[in-house]
Amino acid sequence: MDTVKDILALLFFPAGLAVIFGGLAYEWIDRKLVAQLQNRIGPRWFQPAADIVKLLAKEEVLPEGVDQWLFHSLPIIALAGVLTAGLYVPLFGLAPAHSFAGDLIVTIYLLSMLTLCTGLAGANTNDHFSLIGATRTLTQLFSYEAPFLLTLLGPAIVAGSWQISEINAYAGSHWMILTQPIGFIVSMIGLMGKLELPPFDAPEAETEIVAGAMTEYSGRGWALFRLGKNVELLIGLTLIAAFYLGGLDNPLTFLLKTLVLLLTVAGLQALFARLRIDQTVGLWWRVGALLVLVQLLVTIVLKGVLT
Amino acid sequence: MENEKREKFIVPIGPQHPALKEPGHFEFTVDGETVTGATVRLGYVHRGIEKATEDRNWTQNLYLLERICGICSHSHAMAYSLGVEKLAGVAVPPRAQAIRQVTAELERIHSHLLWLGVAAHEAGFDTLFMFSWRDRETIMDILEELTGNRVNYSVNVLGGVKIDIDTERADSIRKGMDFLEERTTHYLKVVTSDETFLRRTRGVGFTTTEQAETLGLVGPTARAANVARDVRVDVPYITYADFPITITLDTRGDLEARFVVRIKELFECYRVIRLILDKLPAGELTTRMPRKIKEGETVSRIEAPRGELFYFIKSGGGEKPERVKVRTPSINNFALVTGTAVGHQLADMPMILAGMDPCFSCNDR
Repeated sequence: MDTVKDILALLFFPAGLAVIFGGLAYEWIDRKLVAQLQNRIGPRWFQPAADIVKLLAKEEVLPEGVDQWLFHSLPIIALAGVLTAGLYVPLFGLAPAHSFAGDLIVTIYLLSMLTLCTGLAGANTNDHFSLIGATRTLTQLFSYEAPFLLTLLGPAIVAGSWQISEINAYAGSHWMILTQPIGFIVSMIGLMGKLELPPFDAPEAETEIVAGAMTEYSGRGWALFRLGKNVELLIGLTLIAAFYLGGLDNPLTFLLKTLVLLLTVAGLQALFARLRIDQTVGLWWRVGALLVLVQLLVTIVLKGVLT
Repeated sequence: MENEKREKFIVPIGPQHPALKEPGHFEFTVDGETVTGATVRLGYVHRGIEKATEDRNWTQNLYLLERICGICSHSHAMAYSLGVEKLAGVAVPPRAQAIRQVTAELERIHSHLLWLGVAAHEAGFDTLFMFSWRDRETIMDILEELTGNRVNYSVNVLGGVKIDIDTERADSIRKGMDFLEERTTHYLKVVTSDETFLRRTRGVGFTTTEQAETLGLVGPTARAANVARDVRVDVPYITYADFPITITLDTRGDLEARFVVRIKELFECYRVIRLILDKLPAGELTTRMPRKIKEGETVSRIEAPRGELFYFIKSGGGEKPERVKVRTPSINNFALVTGTAVGHQLADMPMILAGMDPCFSCNDR
């Protein structure tokens, strides 16, 4: 019976299909919000799903000079990585499907798989736009990854646990956005960097390098990468809401808190011009990382003093 | 070997590329993210318009030349009309000239707002792009109300203009100017104070005044580098002597200056349009033109939205011109891209290119 339950959890709910559709819904909300902020109408509600169905049905062009095996497996690995991460976070406000001590670290690394796969996919082709896009993707990965990791460690240290479900339970009585505001802000911006959303979309800046690392991808591979990105958006918002916004204990609070976060993300997307990659790196290391480090030190010291 | 390989890492932009919806080809040699060389190739949409003018009569050419460019169509038609009228020795009634100036300035507003959107999009600032294009609709509506067309307004005829501006139309233009002036004030604030946007424009694509002179830049691009070059001021044509504009200059010479100069020029447009509407001379709209233009050749220069537009017209005394030569402002300004690219980041290239407001359609006639 337990095995059946596990398989159901893995394939349908809360991980698997439910996350995929959740991700598509959140992509739509994001696109619609940005469009409204930019005085546009925006897509219809089924547009992201329709895009995926269309892409899955289309021919996948295999460019010359790529490693075939890598080219086909990278999108699958990327999507599998983020879907697996979905098992460990309190999606839809329910208890994580799986949980063990230290699953926070696993989740963080699973979430980085997508970016890593994107970078590899770009470096795998001979296309100049892809190569530059891949370089930028990986450069960006190195700039936001450490600060983002630190922002998730802050709540973990206060909660005294490396297990997402325990931190979530602890956060239920402690709104850490109040005690660690810097961590909250940096984690939000880190998520935007992770998802390559404007203004951190230099790796796929269409006016410079077409679609960046994804330029040569079409059809199924491109669809899977996009799905991966949608799922990561949902999981990232869940994580931040669980850690900083007072935890997630039922579907209603989940919806409320993640949508507030999504509104913030959409607002930030509409507000800024694209940063150059050197500016992104500078921003992260000169400002983001330093602030988070200071906050982390304060947290550790205070925790030591108070207990 | 390694060095040579690096040397050859070329990023092509165009003729099909999302950064450039128009067909030009740029090759940027890059070392990492830094540009080490730039070349430009033009001529993808050569349509043979100059040659085609020799097979059409003087009136037909007006409509052909208007279609050189979709944005500055009035400038082309006006430059041609002015040239032909000079050759024929015809004096155009002052009311027609004033209406020509109104249309020219409306067109400049339309062009500059369009450019603002495109340039913001190149910087990844899509919100500004969407808003400036929404406001540009105001000017398109005015032009449609005035002439019946949103582009290729076909205002000119040889010897005058086709349209008249009555009080009702003047009022709707004034209303549009009021709305746009308020919006433009906001845009000026945005491009001079938005932190992320300034990071992409300040100090980028810098040219000194001497460089701008050497490269032969024209139009707002030159004025942003403090080169006082504006045909409307230097050699006032039509009614620019009666309703003069003040030249807009900026000393900084970078992308930010190009933004500021173009946006400040918009205010000048609003002011001059209001002035003309208040003091629109009365009188005829057209005057008689001969079918055949007497033998001779002439040059006519006007200030198009992008800079000096130059027409050389030669008549053999017949119904058709012997030669029409057009030189558009974009060809001068392309030197800016190749001249300032080296040393910049690859990410700056679309911005520098958009900063000179290239018009490929004008360029490849």
